[in-house]
Amino acid sequence: MTGDNVSVLMIGGIALILFGFAALVFISVRRSHGFKRSFFASPYTLWMVLFTVVPVLLITYYAFTDSTGALTLDNFKNFWDSNYSVNQLYRQMGPEYEVLITRGYVNIGILVYSLWMALLCTAICLFFGYPAAYFMADRKMKFGAIIVVLFVIPMWMNFLLRTIAWMSILEDSGLINTVFHLLGLPKVQLMYNNTAVLLGMVYNFLPFMVFPIYTALTKMDYRLLEAAQDLGANPTRTFWTVTAPLSLPGVVSGITMVFMPSVTTFFIPRILGGGNTMMFGDLIENRFLFQGNWNLGSALSLVMMALILLSLGILRRVDPESEGSGIV
Amino acid sequence: MADMERLIDLQNISKEYDNTLVLEDINLYIRENEFVTLLGPSGCGKTTTLRIIGGFEHPTEGVVLFEGKDITHLPPYKRKVNTIFQKYALFPHLNVQDNIAFGQRIAKVPSAEIKKRVEKMLDLVDLRGYGKRRVDQLSGGQQQRVAIARALINEPQVLLLDEPLGALDLKLRKDMQLELKRMQRMLGITFLYVTHDQEEALTMSDTVVVMNRGRILQIGTPKDVYDEPVNSFVADFIGESNIYPGIMLEDQLVRFAGCDFPCVDKGFGHNQPVDIVIRPEDIQIVDMDAGQITGTVESVLFKGVHYEMIINAGELEFKIHSTVMQEPGTRVGLSIIPFNIHIMNPIPAENEEDMPDEIIEGDEVS
Repeated sequence: MTGDNVSVLMIGGIALILFGFAALVFISVRRSHGFKRSFFASPYTLWMVLFTVVPVLLITYYAFTDSTGALTLDNFKNFWDSNYSVNQLYRQMGPEYEVLITRGYVNIGILVYSLWMALLCTAICLFFGYPAAYFMADRKMKFGAIIVVLFVIPMWMNFLLRTIAWMSILEDSGLINTVFHLLGLPKVQLMYNNTAVLLGMVYNFLPFMVFPIYTALTKMDYRLLEAAQDLGANPTRTFWTVTAPLSLPGVVSGITMVFMPSVTTFFIPRILGGGNTMMFGDLIENRFLFQGNWNLGSALSLVMMALILLSLGILRRVDPESEGSGIV
Repeated sequence: MADMERLIDLQNISKEYDNTLVLEDINLYIRENEFVTLLGPSGCGKTTTLRIIGGFEHPTEGVVLFEGKDITHLPPYKRKVNTIFQKYALFPHLNVQDNIAFGQRIAKVPSAEIKKRVEKMLDLVDLRGYGKRRVDQLSGGQQQRVAIARALINEPQVLLLDEPLGALDLKLRKDMQLELKRMQRMLGITFLYVTHDQEEALTMSDTVVVMNRGRILQIGTPKDVYDEPVNSFVADFIGESNIYPGIMLEDQLVRFAGCDFPCVDKGFGHNQPVDIVIRPEDIQIVDMDAGQITGTVESVLFKGVHYEMIINAGELEFKIHSTVMQEPGTRVGLSIIPFNIHIMNPIPAENEEDMPDEIIEGDEVS
């Protein structure tokens, strides 16, 4: 039944979109006796509608229906008060979440854990990323370009590959433990814990923090720094009164670009956390693929989307001037 | 002890960028309350000189003295000078009043006092009521005024101005020239002004420093450098000039254009090659038989206050400014009184092209 619903919806949707698109092209050609400039945006618009708008609508549909297709709010109720059996996996996320999980609030527990991990990851990325970007953007620094390349090269590699590569460094017979063994030091457990997951996340998302800040800093007119110094500000004051506020748009988009994928991270916890930890992304995957509960999975996805939109809204408020132009 | 009248004293300043000499042995002092202009073509080193005084560049050789104290290596934020930058460099994240208050906040002046001073400054630069505006909502002329207010509120002993009027249109530029001069007199602040506009330099300055290729060619009052340029470069750069090679036959007699002219200069020796400089307005058009030389009017251009005529006299052309127009093709006589013939030593050939034209600095003519 569900499958039939989907295919009908899909085919209907696609037909509608194609028809609308053809009509649009027809009208624009008739009207202007030629192609309008906006016409060239239509392939992308079509793509967006097919693969973003339609799926979101489908998710919304599933989230508010049950397995028979009847309208219901049960999925969201289940989200709050999960009556699913408490899986051994979730217990091991750490004592902080034990309370929530043992009370049955598995979904909430994982959500809070995901948010906390994402916040930590974003904070660490900012802590290391800002100085890196600052160093790279320094006009006087001759190695700036080399460091930019060093940041870019790992991004040429596949995301999964990069994460798995960390395994060979951290695992019991990995690089670090081999070196420790050679030095006569005891073996350390580096994998299968929160720290390893966090490490993998920071490693993967750090460039998304560095580059927006780097761009904001390089776009800044260096004469402004001279002007600040001319007016009596020492280098520290100059940084806090001129550089920091002017790079704020870069920081905001860096935070956005790290926080969003961090919250929805999956796979990294499975590889580096060894299944001991589960993040919200993994939970959604689990509901869809292993439990086959598309309705609850969709509800979880909607909650996630709402949270991301909320955090975007808060960020925009931090830097209202950045909207549109991005950087001053 | 240094001469206390010298507020700023540059001694043997040289500056090299990547083995290119952009300043060569600059010696210059600036007195208190003086309006000094560094004048020269793009890339002559005038902006670099200003930046050395501002502390943004450090000389390769030489010392900078401020009130007799060596400040050569003092960072900009410890110097009692303020700069008005070429493109103003206003802070885009601050509004007009916060831009102006910037230096005072750094100096930890009480906020009530800052507020009072900002209002006073807004009055001074004629921007009353603009305090809350964003700087990108202002016109070029208004941004200029904010930059002036932002510098002057700190009551600097010296104000450095790096082609501050370069981005303004002619009318506004003329108004601002007078305005700046008025402020300078009123506030009693020493101005060091950089420009490539000779008219601006002559209008505003007490002292003009003519520079080219990293060297100072002449220091003098506007009248000095206009009437008595030291060489043909200065003559050509400051106002329009007719420049001819000639021979100094003896004291007070020079030959050029196939004719001997009496002049007032002496001490060049006998039969020495010299440059002869004559201002276009200093050549009289007279009757054919009354002229020292004769020529034909080639072309006439109306320039507003005067006509500019090109007169062909055999192998030489004369540019003449006169309020009386002659029809093209007319044969005329030309007469030059001895006082208006300026004799100069020719510029040695090896000095003429010994430095590249493109020199690293923000000196471009905009």
